[in-house]
Amino acid sequence: MKLQKWLVICGAALFIAGVAVSQQKNKRKKGRAVLAIPEVAKKDLICFALYTVHDKTLKLTAQLYPLAADDSRTVRLEIKKGDQWVEVARTTAIEQGWTAPFRVENWDDSRAHHYRVVHGAGSVYKGLIRRNPVDKDEIIVASFTGNSIHPAHGGDISRQDIINNVRKIDADVLFFSGDQVYDHHKHYAAWLKFGRDFGEIIKDRPTLCLPDDHDAGQPNLWGESGKVSTLGGASDGGYSRPGVYVQEVERAQTSHFPDPVDPHKIGQGIGVWFTNLNWGKVDFAILEDRKFKTGPAGRVPKQGPRPDHIRNPEYDPASVDVEGAVLLGQRQLKFLDKWAQDWRHADMKVALSATIFCGGAHIHGGANGRLHADMDSNGWPQTGRHRALATLRKGFAFHCAGDQHLATIFHHGLDEYRDAIWSFCVPSIANLYLRWWDPLEPGVNREPGAPGYTGDHLDGFHNKVTNYAAANPVKKPAGNVLNTRSAGFGIVRLNTRKREITMECWPRNVDITDPAASQYPGWPRTISQYDNYAPPSWGTLGELTFDVEDPVVQLIDATTREVLYTVRANGKTFTAGAPKGKAFIVRAGKHAPDTVISQKAQVGSAPRTVTLN
Amino acid sequence: MNKPKPDSNPILLLRLGTFLCFAGWTWVHFYWEGPYGVLLWQDATYAFAERLGVSWESFVGSGADDGLVQKWIAWIGWLYLGCTILALTVRGKSRIQMAALMGGSVLLAIVAYARYLAAQRQLPMFIEHGGQILIPVLLVMALSLGARHRVTVITAIVAFITTFGGHGCYALGLWPVPSGYHAMTSLILQVEHETATSILRVTGVLDFVVCLGICIPSLRRGCALYAAAWGFLTAIARPVVGMSLSLNYWGADHFLHEAVLRAPHFLIPLHLFILWRPPRQAETLASPPDSTPESGEAVSERPGDPHG
Repeated sequence: MKLQKWLVICGAALFIAGVAVSQQKNKRKKGRAVLAIPEVAKKDLICFALYTVHDKTLKLTAQLYPLAADDSRTVRLEIKKGDQWVEVARTTAIEQGWTAPFRVENWDDSRAHHYRVVHGAGSVYKGLIRRNPVDKDEIIVASFTGNSIHPAHGGDISRQDIINNVRKIDADVLFFSGDQVYDHHKHYAAWLKFGRDFGEIIKDRPTLCLPDDHDAGQPNLWGESGKVSTLGGASDGGYSRPGVYVQEVERAQTSHFPDPVDPHKIGQGIGVWFTNLNWGKVDFAILEDRKFKTGPAGRVPKQGPRPDHIRNPEYDPASVDVEGAVLLGQRQLKFLDKWAQDWRHADMKVALSATIFCGGAHIHGGANGRLHADMDSNGWPQTGRHRALATLRKGFAFHCAGDQHLATIFHHGLDEYRDAIWSFCVPSIANLYLRWWDPLEPGVNREPGAPGYTGDHLDGFHNKVTNYAAANPVKKPAGNVLNTRSAGFGIVRLNTRKREITMECWPRNVDITDPAASQYPGWPRTISQYDNYAPPSWGTLGELTFDVEDPVVQLIDATTREVLYTVRANGKTFTAGAPKGKAFIVRAGKHAPDTVISQKAQVGSAPRTVTLN
Repeated sequence: MNKPKPDSNPILLLRLGTFLCFAGWTWVHFYWEGPYGVLLWQDATYAFAERLGVSWESFVGSGADDGLVQKWIAWIGWLYLGCTILALTVRGKSRIQMAALMGGSVLLAIVAYARYLAAQRQLPMFIEHGGQILIPVLLVMALSLGARHRVTVITAIVAFITTFGGHGCYALGLWPVPSGYHAMTSLILQVEHETATSILRVTGVLDFVVCLGICIPSLRRGCALYAAAWGFLTAIARPVVGMSLSLNYWGADHFLHEAVLRAPHFLIPLHLFILWRPPRQAETLASPPDSTPESGEAVSERPGDPHG
């Protein structure tokens, strides 16, 4: 009897263990990608390289495959001068994540440089550091988000269409807004795959990759300054993965960014990388809209099936705008305030972040996953959203982001509709999780012939938003790969001569230079830079005529002394918009608003000529 | 005077474990939402519904109202509530209640399967739910066959091994260690990541040691006691690290049920520990004479017979 029992138990244990092992070894599972680090020859040890050039400083990070114990850790950066390769920097590879970060000061950005990264074992990786395109009329930003590699929804389909299109339009900057990696445990392996997929275009142009929630190894991210999260879904705030894992992720994706403006670390030794990149006379603010954000669980009253989801349409939006809830955080707002006023070497300003400042979707996950509001969006907390947009509009910043898995164009409102910046949320490269912008009531003030979902709306947090386009996926399952799931990418054309911004939203696997190719409905759309702060209720001051081209103009409330906005004029004339019934101090200058030209300008004031030279 | 029933304490533990497990999941279903999204939002699920003549609109709803999917999810919560009550009321002769509790075990298996899918088909995720899935079955077996019946004991051992074996697979790093393991270890013990990893490795080894030890007569009581303590600590770790005075309701609505529904993780080992007590101790610990006898406990085996 005894023996029988033990045999049964041991048999059961062996069966379970056998199934477990066979499961572990099963390399191909339907709908899921298998991630592995390939073994490469010594000559191929360098996978790819990312770089930025800002303020005469080159920062380049080479991403290596794992080095053997006896391989040298030294990696060199060389540039071509005439027929010679000249070493400009060398560094030691960091074993946790195998990155080799370089930094070269006094970089001459007035001309292009061919570069190569060299490892002693015989690996050489070549690319091009571009010249700063300050004389180009149009800076092209190719924008991406959501790089799922899972076959279930087309993630295994080649990215060659993206490579070809980026080359054809010769994009000046690549922007990956987040979720470059969806694997929550193997960032390094997935990042190498990302490099194999996109390295061909990344190596030759400045590239910004913002690590978002999935990159950090969790489904959503409310960073709470580095707290440790223990709740499933991480809505209690903080990071689910250990700090060292997050550090490795950020090192891989952001160590080539311009230096952080406020480098103090947060909890668990996690760094910060919010900063700006000035390239082609466009000043990009690179924002961390997750790192400081408060987690909602336990802070806001429960309103739905998840702590971050509000399903009750009758709820009081003010009840979730709880005191102390942070979005961008003071450090970042302080940076943004300075950035919005600083127009040196800049004609236009663009904010880049993981996602947009509103609840930009109604249906989540499945076709009946209607939520009233989602606290993973930057529509919450409302006060934090208000502060962020109020600061960004002071610099007429256009906002480009992703993460929604749904491409949209919104004109944001604070006190009235359309009184703040515009945003373009780009579609996913391959769409893991579907969302729809599908308001139950048609929007008001729609453009003639525009779909009912466009126009003025209140989002689920009662934020004012005006929608102009939404690339909603097909509702009923229809093939379930790429374009039926509204996959694609965005192109932002920043015309620094006309001061216009054109948003393009392309599906996958089309040739975007083919005149017959179609974008998603609602695109393209072109706006003026000045539309980013032009409240409908405003009037205009008398036209200002300057003796210099493109001066910087600043309006300051004469009563409160608060800066209303700062912007670079286009040409020698500028007609400033302003609220009615208030007086403003107007300052101007060639590169900074250092000269007071009016003490009490008001809407309707007389035109005047200003001498700055 | 009623004869003492030596199995009443072990059965009480199974009853308590079943009740707490269903109560915790009832809370999840009513207060939050069952984890069925991954099962239902699949083309195959819809195709199945379509074959049954259900239209797309009926299946998913209009957006303004609920479709069949959400209605089904809401209904499942009532089934869990029913099982919670049955865990208290079931007796050895109430066959309908016992059948319903066996159905509850299927419900728990579905939840475990959904979590397994959500965890990208990591087998330990399903296996470690073995204790939760099997505790209603164990209760029914204990009531109908007797707590010491060979089949009941073997089922309890399987529940034990799956729970701790699944946990051990993760803790040892055979599958990617869930984030919460590191986080809870680091926060409770105030140690760095490397130390937490080492501790998890050790506990993972111990998980497998007790899975083997539970099969060795001379070691099994010690293993059961260790597993009861370890199961209890891992269950309460969630509210301990997550709850805070600064949160609404101290965060209890987010974290407390996480400990409650894991009650089988420590009550099944405790059940075995008590079941295997030495005969003399068993007599001392037997239920008082006036305790209500459980139906179906009158098994043929001698009290304290470790072999059932």
